[in-house]
Amino acid sequence: MDAREIYGLLVQKFPEGILEFKENLLDPAIEVKPQALIDVAFFLKAEQGLEFDYLRCLSGVDLKDQLEVVYQLHSIAKGHDLVIKVKAAAGDPVIPSVSGIWKTANWHEREAFDLLGINFQGHDDLRRILLPEDWIGHPLKKDYVPQPEYHGITPDRPDGLDAIPIGEGGEQPRPPIQYLPAMHGPKDEPEGKLFHLNMGPHHPSTHGVLNFMLNTDGEVLSRVVPEVGYLHRGMEKLAENLQYSGNMPYTDRIDYLGSMFCNHGWAMAIERLLNIEVPKRAEYCRVIVDELNRIASHLIATGSMAMDVGAFTPFTHWLRERETINDIMEMICGARLTYNYMRIGGVSRDISPAVVEKTLAWLDHFDIIMEEFDRLISENQIFIKRLAEIAVISAEDAIDYGLSGPNLRASGVDFDIRRDEPYSVYPELDFDVITGKAWKGSLGDCYDRYYCRMDEMRQSVRILRQALKAMPEGDIRAKVPKTIKPDPNEVYSRVESARGELGYYVVSDGSPKPYRAKYRTGSFTSMSIIEHLSPGLMVADLVALIASFDVVAPEVDR
Amino acid sequence: MDRWDGGDMKELAEWVIRDLFSKNPDTWQYTWAIYLAGMALAAVICLGFVAVFAGPVTWVERRTAGRIMSRIGPNRVGPQGVLQWLADGIKNLLKEDLIPDDADKPLFRLAPYLVFSGMFGTFVVLPFGANLIAADLDIGVLYLMAVTTLVVVGLLTAGWASNSKWALYGGIRSAAQLVSYEVPIAFALLVVVISTGSLSTQAIIKAQGGWPWQWFVAKNPFTFIAFFLLLTSAMAEGNRIPFDLPEAESELVAGYNTEYSGMRFLFFLFEEWANLWIMGAITTLCFLGGWQIPGVSPEKISASSGWTFVGWQLLSFAIFAAKVSWIVFIVIQARWTLPRLRVDQLMSTCWKYLVPMTLVCIAGVLFMDLYIVQGGITDKIIRWIMTLLGAAVIVLFFLRARYNYKMDKDKYPGLRNEKMWYPPYRMP
Repeated sequence: MDAREIYGLLVQKFPEGILEFKENLLDPAIEVKPQALIDVAFFLKAEQGLEFDYLRCLSGVDLKDQLEVVYQLHSIAKGHDLVIKVKAAAGDPVIPSVSGIWKTANWHEREAFDLLGINFQGHDDLRRILLPEDWIGHPLKKDYVPQPEYHGITPDRPDGLDAIPIGEGGEQPRPPIQYLPAMHGPKDEPEGKLFHLNMGPHHPSTHGVLNFMLNTDGEVLSRVVPEVGYLHRGMEKLAENLQYSGNMPYTDRIDYLGSMFCNHGWAMAIERLLNIEVPKRAEYCRVIVDELNRIASHLIATGSMAMDVGAFTPFTHWLRERETINDIMEMICGARLTYNYMRIGGVSRDISPAVVEKTLAWLDHFDIIMEEFDRLISENQIFIKRLAEIAVISAEDAIDYGLSGPNLRASGVDFDIRRDEPYSVYPELDFDVITGKAWKGSLGDCYDRYYCRMDEMRQSVRILRQALKAMPEGDIRAKVPKTIKPDPNEVYSRVESARGELGYYVVSDGSPKPYRAKYRTGSFTSMSIIEHLSPGLMVADLVALIASFDVVAPEVDR
Repeated sequence: MDRWDGGDMKELAEWVIRDLFSKNPDTWQYTWAIYLAGMALAAVICLGFVAVFAGPVTWVERRTAGRIMSRIGPNRVGPQGVLQWLADGIKNLLKEDLIPDDADKPLFRLAPYLVFSGMFGTFVVLPFGANLIAADLDIGVLYLMAVTTLVVVGLLTAGWASNSKWALYGGIRSAAQLVSYEVPIAFALLVVVISTGSLSTQAIIKAQGGWPWQWFVAKNPFTFIAFFLLLTSAMAEGNRIPFDLPEAESELVAGYNTEYSGMRFLFFLFEEWANLWIMGAITTLCFLGGWQIPGVSPEKISASSGWTFVGWQLLSFAIFAAKVSWIVFIVIQARWTLPRLRVDQLMSTCWKYLVPMTLVCIAGVLFMDLYIVQGGITDKIIRWIMTLLGAAVIVLFFLRARYNYKMDKDKYPGLRNEKMWYPPYRMP
């Protein structure tokens, strides 16, 4: 069903609640009154034929006199999309919370509250999420003024190095370090025999700087509260201050294990805004580097998963394989980790025949190594015992919490953006979408999430072989104006990254800089389900669970 | 002057008093001094041996791990990195000895020594060769079980005194694990004790022979199983993967030694690697015939004299060391191959599988000893069958390794032309 039909239905059902149908937007949106939002949302989710069960993204936008919340909805069953908008006055931005309808909204709304100060009524836990509790102001508001200092940290040091005394005079007396009291904590303090434990921010298996606050009874967890934001760099704020093409290298840093996807998503979003046709060869280049990057990222995911359950050897074997991918990437774009390869309208460099030859040779080698790896660890009984039947996520829960990518598919949900909302040249390529098959335990357990990634690598190899053969000759960049100034519009583009759906919601106001850019990442949503899953798990299972989500901390915090 | 034919350090001391000082050891007033000197000598020799074993074995382990993990490993200090352990030791000695502010300082300082003495105490009854043993105690095996318990106390102390929750987790885990796994170890050792009729470690070895079919592992099916049970439990007792839960780095940061640094930290590692020898030595002396030289009976060694006697001692030591090294190598390989068990799986492995199985082994050995005459034809047939079975296990291992090796080589013709053997593929 397309947006106009749904609009017709909604107007019939809620004549008072629906305000406007914005058809001229790239993704047509329906504006809803705040008072009617809950009813409309419930209707959209529950009504036969609509079944919008999946909230992809929830973004707040500061329109200066008003604050706007944009809901990107998707129906896994019906395969259609819808955009809903709600506006509230800037003075007292109150919008009802939809976290009771889509559980994934819980964290998204906390983020919108944190960065824009939108007050979601009915939200059960509206705390800051990315910024510290004692931060003043909401940075993504257009009238935000940075604090001059935060606990003694100033943004600039006017005297520069001259302020630091050299040599004589001995050691300068320093003010004693003041430890801050723990700012957040589980709402209920542990009682009786419960034990409170902070796993992180520095811990070997949190995959970056993350904190998990655990209440445990011996080894058994009774509650886990993930605490994120340690790596928050304000990337969305940065994007607002950069030109469209200038933001490309910054997107690399969203997800350092999958920079190509971040590049790709950003490029696609701006190309849709500008209505640029990308040359065929450039699209093939993009798919090739995407799939290489997917393999590299899954190598780290599966390898570190084995390492987190105690087996070191698989990880180094995978690092050895990843090294070749890094070499190939270096040949393609000169960088090994943060690629900055794509450009708006194409890619920066062509893929040479030498790269094609080397990649094909490596793929032959990799086929064998995949089998060897299966014999090494996938079939290991201890490994299976540690992962099978652990943290089982049902398909309903996975959709409700907005999991995406391999994490969603492992629960048996057959949804892959590459196939279901095709972009680039994926429709021309033949590949299977891997879903969990309860290989060793029940559907949606940690082993399924592990093996989904293993099988996805095989599919990526298939795609790469086809793409390397089918790559046509031609340009690698479309004609793009020097200064990119899209017409006022807004767009939501998504790519299937190694960690799930990577969405870019970009609002342009006709200036050379984006008015608002929101990044929706797979790790952020998968972190939000951990609190729901954790009761009853053991400490060692939590480690396996975090590893099975393949969380990358910068992607959570952006 | 008589020849010294004694078994252990006490007899050596008595021989010195009798023959060098021509005094009666029971009445001479300086007997205690000679005894003390003997004990000190034994301690110094054992300590030297532990240091010289535990150091290089870290290098062996790291190089083996490197090979398994398709990387190189330490190869810079000395030829092929053999002196890496000395460099590590010196570095750790020079490092600052950090003690957390809120730690229980006396206990924090004490813990590494408790762990170390628990480990080192076992060397009293571990034989190195035919007559090379610090003290051939009548209660050797019992002493072994008792003194290793000190390690648990040390680990728990370290975990508690650190005043860190992760260290406490490690300490509690190690207490639960080590106490549990002492049960199957004790039962598996009981199988041997029943077969021997003595608790003395030397008596256990002398009850076996030099050839594989004379070893306890091949005595009957139950001792054969008990061997594997003992090896598994010993790995758990030594905190080796797949049983390294007390220091599971991906879960507990570093477990009980999280807060330790410098030399104190080194003591824990020292204990860990020396434990490898203990693990191997106990398995070897109980099931693999200890230092027995094939074709040479212990009586013949005792009857020899002069350089022949010294030669037999050295040969017996070499045989013992070779067997122990083999076990150590298996344990190292297991560490770099297997993932780690979860704590409840660890406990159920112990109490649901290992303990009942060892109990069955005890019952089986009692039954076999009652009804099968030692040296009779049935006994000989059983021993031969078990020996062949053991050989089959080893052959199977190599066939399996060859299968994995060939499987890749056949599929990828490019690999056949490689000069290097298996792990480092030439990257395309």
